[in-house]
Amino acid sequence: MIELKNVSKKYKNGVHALRDVTLAIEDGEFVYIIGPTGSGKSTLIKLLDGEEVPTEGSVIVEGVDVGKLRHSKVPLYRRNIGVVFQDFRLLPKLTVFENIAFALEVIGMNKVDIRHRVRKVLELVSLEDKAKSFPNELSGGQQQRATIGRAIANHPKVLIADEPTGNLDPQMSAEIMELLEKINEVEKTTILMVTHDSTIVDRFKKRTICLEEGYVVGDIMKGGYIKRD
Amino acid sequence: MTKFFKALPRLIKTAFYSLIRHLAMAMTASSVVAITLTVLSLFLILAGNIEVVTDSIQQDLQIHVVLKSDVTAEKELKDSKEAIENIKNVKKVKFSNKDQELELMIKERGDAFKIYNGERNPLSNGYFVSVKNVKEIKETTEAIKKLDMIKDAKYGGTSVSKLVSVLDAVHSGGIIFIGLLSLLAIFLIANAIKLTIYARSNEIAIMRNVGAMNWYIKVPFMIEGMLIGLIGSIVPCFITYFGYQYIYELFGGRLEYTMFELIPSIPFTFKICGILIVGSMLVGLIGSMFATNKHLKVNR
Repeated sequence: MIELKNVSKKYKNGVHALRDVTLAIEDGEFVYIIGPTGSGKSTLIKLLDGEEVPTEGSVIVEGVDVGKLRHSKVPLYRRNIGVVFQDFRLLPKLTVFENIAFALEVIGMNKVDIRHRVRKVLELVSLEDKAKSFPNELSGGQQQRATIGRAIANHPKVLIADEPTGNLDPQMSAEIMELLEKINEVEKTTILMVTHDSTIVDRFKKRTICLEEGYVVGDIMKGGYIKRD
Repeated sequence: MTKFFKALPRLIKTAFYSLIRHLAMAMTASSVVAITLTVLSLFLILAGNIEVVTDSIQQDLQIHVVLKSDVTAEKELKDSKEAIENIKNVKKVKFSNKDQELELMIKERGDAFKIYNGERNPLSNGYFVSVKNVKEIKETTEAIKKLDMIKDAKYGGTSVSKLVSVLDAVHSGGIIFIGLLSLLAIFLIANAIKLTIYARSNEIAIMRNVGAMNWYIKVPFMIEGMLIGLIGSIVPCFITYFGYQYIYELFGGRLEYTMFELIPSIPFTFKICGILIVGSMLVGLIGSMFATNKHLKVNR
């Protein structure tokens, strides 16, 4: 369960990224967040991820008030949410296997369990044959799949994906979407996906929240890309 | 805490792996450490030896006090000794009777003085006075001269006391210089390690993204910093050990002067190597801790 109550975010440089946003996302939902550049999509993700603190209002994820977390406790919170970044953010000196294993090592899982889980995840994201490759030896789509694998490795309740298809061609984008749908169904993970890829939003119809200049201007359950003229 | 010890083997492994994976960076940092430590070791050796030389000269330097010829009674001798002992800078007063004085004269000036042996000895009793601070030996000598019953007081000469004060100045200057050099070493080592961490600030951010606690991120970097310090101290230690031994054999064996005896190489170089190793490892540890802290704070 993700809840935003009257959330506003104003950056130090005066940019007002979010204005009085109130949202509720139930467990197991798959939600798109769309909107033009500068509409506050990335800020919303940073608030959910704990990277930024709301100026007003509160962000509550799985009962945790994210904005009130102490700096040292933020990583603990992040173990319950998986984040997929547009720029992948894989550790360059670790192999795909090690990258996914790392997310499990930090939570203190034992070696044998880690190996089992990583194999399973690799299978889920179809990267079994790339386990020993380093990130720079992979294509964009493969790297994105590795990132998704890392994000879901420790069974997070929420998966946040920041433009996961942003750097990919249409065919790879469709593959990633199918993967995310699979995760949503198999692992019952709540998925929040930021995108401005209208073809994807139109093709894989989900609940769609539209942001514009920091306001929520649309929230439709049946989905489809919202265009306002 | 139990979590920490459970994770420790993995953290140590991580430190070794990242050291190897960032080998070029680690070697750069280590060579900076090595160069700084070599210079530091050089000055430690110099200062240590100067200290010993000054000490031995200071021990040799005494004031020779000659009593008036009529001072022979036991009470007078006792009084005069006490009077000298009461002067501030005086450390020890050693009595030397007429005959001993003559022996010294014979030793210094030649056998011709042997004719004065026995009843004909024209010399008077005297004292050898050692002082606490050699730099003030002149003032002390003057003070002794002013006392009753004293005929004369002399010390080893201005040249020796000048040498001592020069060596003293060099020594205290050396200590200050070592202090500054240590600061510089800490600064350079910490910076070199900072550089290796800076190159990986992205990595630190990613680790936090994935849910790594701060200590989990910090500890491998701290171990790595210690390893960099350790690697960096290997070459300076070899240079110190073998270099000093070479110099010791070159000089120590041949120079007969007790004054300029070098410190024996075995415990001395070990001590210096110990200081270098422990010091650079500590600096590596603390330096990388601060540097990682800084990068941890950049992102929430």
